[in-house]
Amino acid sequence: MTTFGSTIAERSPGLVDVTVQKWALPAIFCGLLIFATVISPSFLSVSNFQNVMTQAAPLMIVVIGQTFVILVRGLDLSVASLMATVAVIATAFNTQDNTMIPVIFISAILLCTIVGFINGWLVTKRNVSPFLATLAMMIVLQGLRFYYTQGAPAGVLPEGFRHLGTGKYLGIPANIIACILLFVFLTFVLEKTVFGRKIFIVGGNPTSADLVGINSHNVTITCYIICSIMAGIAGLLLVGFVGTVDNFVGRGYELDSIVAAVIGGVALSGGKGKLLGAILGALILVVLFNIVIIVGLPVQAQLVIKGVIIIGAAAFFARKTRG
Amino acid sequence: MSGLTFRIKRTEPAIMMVIALTLLIIIIGFFVNERFGTIRNFLNLFEQMAPLGFLALGQTFAVLVGGIDLSIGAVVTASNVLLAGTVSGNDAMMMPALILVLAFGAAFGFMNGWITVATGVHPLIVTLGTASVLQGLVLLYTLQPTGSVPFWFEEFAYGRVFGFPISGFVMLLCFLAVGLFLKYSQTGRAVYAVGGNPEAARLNGIRNNRITILAYAASGFFAALAGAYFVSRTGVGDPRVGDPYTLASITPVIVGGCLLGGGRGRITGVLLGVFMISLLNNLLNYINISTFIQWVIQGLIIIIAVAVYVDRRKKP
Repeated sequence: MTTFGSTIAERSPGLVDVTVQKWALPAIFCGLLIFATVISPSFLSVSNFQNVMTQAAPLMIVVIGQTFVILVRGLDLSVASLMATVAVIATAFNTQDNTMIPVIFISAILLCTIVGFINGWLVTKRNVSPFLATLAMMIVLQGLRFYYTQGAPAGVLPEGFRHLGTGKYLGIPANIIACILLFVFLTFVLEKTVFGRKIFIVGGNPTSADLVGINSHNVTITCYIICSIMAGIAGLLLVGFVGTVDNFVGRGYELDSIVAAVIGGVALSGGKGKLLGAILGALILVVLFNIVIIVGLPVQAQLVIKGVIIIGAAAFFARKTRG
Repeated sequence: MSGLTFRIKRTEPAIMMVIALTLLIIIIGFFVNERFGTIRNFLNLFEQMAPLGFLALGQTFAVLVGGIDLSIGAVVTASNVLLAGTVSGNDAMMMPALILVLAFGAAFGFMNGWITVATGVHPLIVTLGTASVLQGLVLLYTLQPTGSVPFWFEEFAYGRVFGFPISGFVMLLCFLAVGLFLKYSQTGRAVYAVGGNPEAARLNGIRNNRITILAYAASGFFAALAGAYFVSRTGVGDPRVGDPYTLASITPVIVGGCLLGGGRGRITGVLLGVFMISLLNNLLNYINISTFIQWVIQGLIIIIAVAVYVDRRKKP
């Protein structure tokens, strides 16, 4: 299996390093919040906070899925393409009737499962590098989607999706509630179940995982399926938030999600990382984008900042693991 | 006779497969459209495949040392805008600007390589980050096509010498030079050594870090060359021209039999890969298949290529 970042010699970090790593993210996040509030007091208003959260939710859900794949030494570039494809499915029935929601939901999840399975199958059974397998999947999905929509998707969403994407319950955005539920459930799976432990073992060392009787292929394939399903759910939430469908719903999420995971301390070499860290990474990214706009910088500056952060964060964690 | 069979056996399966597929495409092409099989079409093809050839060459360097360069698209765009912007119609500036742009590409690649080596971060992340920064800077500079170049520079893209396209000729020359360099020079062989087994290369006295940085610099250089080509094709600097080329540059390299882990792959294979992909697109245009289905086919080709090659090599 091709590994990413395998050149990094792993050594157990000292106490200081552990403390730094543990608290760096929350500290950076709080620092950002304070910075944003100083620049523009309206940042801390409830409505802006709800806004930021609503925007962050789909990304955070994708990041959760991406983390699963990265933990087993992979990465998934097809998530954004899958999000857009699911969005097209959501409007394919062209009805505002809420009774169609289960049908849309089931067909979306079904598609995601198939896509995730193919990704995982290519990576494990055919020994394809995750980068290429998911890249090809991204292109194939994009082609199929454009062919189906002939480049100009149209159609309306069931009302219920709009609620899910933009609605609020007790002042909390609905999509954040969905995100938190998924987060709690998958953290439980990852930290407290046998399957979760297996993921870490497979990511840490697939060969020894096989030797102790874990079917590393099945674990890896399941992780890819989880990632695809998360992307599908995020796609449905995002199309509900935007309200209309286009061919690039979720564009950029494949890279943003990897970046967020890396910021959050999930090691690309596999077997190391926490969902909470990845989520914090996503929040940091979204808040930074928000700050760029508050400060009045052109939107393009987001790209520059994003790039600097990717390298900085990755270098920071690479250093730490090297000791 | 025995010599021939020996050579065929030794040739990498990837190259054999690309040749077979290319022949298949050509045969289908002859039946599908009478204009496909003309000399004229093939010359046009050589003209059009030049940029893909440059980019694939650059990507090959990065892949051979066991990395990948995702900043290619951004470098193409930046050099494209930089060239058109600095010249902007000023005839005397053309050659200095061209040299500046090529140096910029190499320097940017050098930086990619340096960051990769110095931080130990995977090149995927490094080049993604630097690409994001560079693309952002370009878009901060301009949001619409800008600048212009003297008319005669268009000869690079459209000119013909004895009927043979100049760009295609330059591309073949680059392939020849790189092929000889990788095969016969000490540095070229070191590129394979570093990609194949970094530890062994180090123990043999190769300076891995230098070789890696050199490979990324070469990748940046060729991306800048492609950027210059696009200026000569369209006459302006377009801040989004490079977008599709990061991924496009990877396909021919993989199809041509380079291993993503590094250390394996031949320039002949890459050239054949470039030829095959261009030929395929050409054919699909002739039979009027929508661009969207062309994407699907491209994706399937990557999957099939990697699924077949990788499996074969792991077995022995």
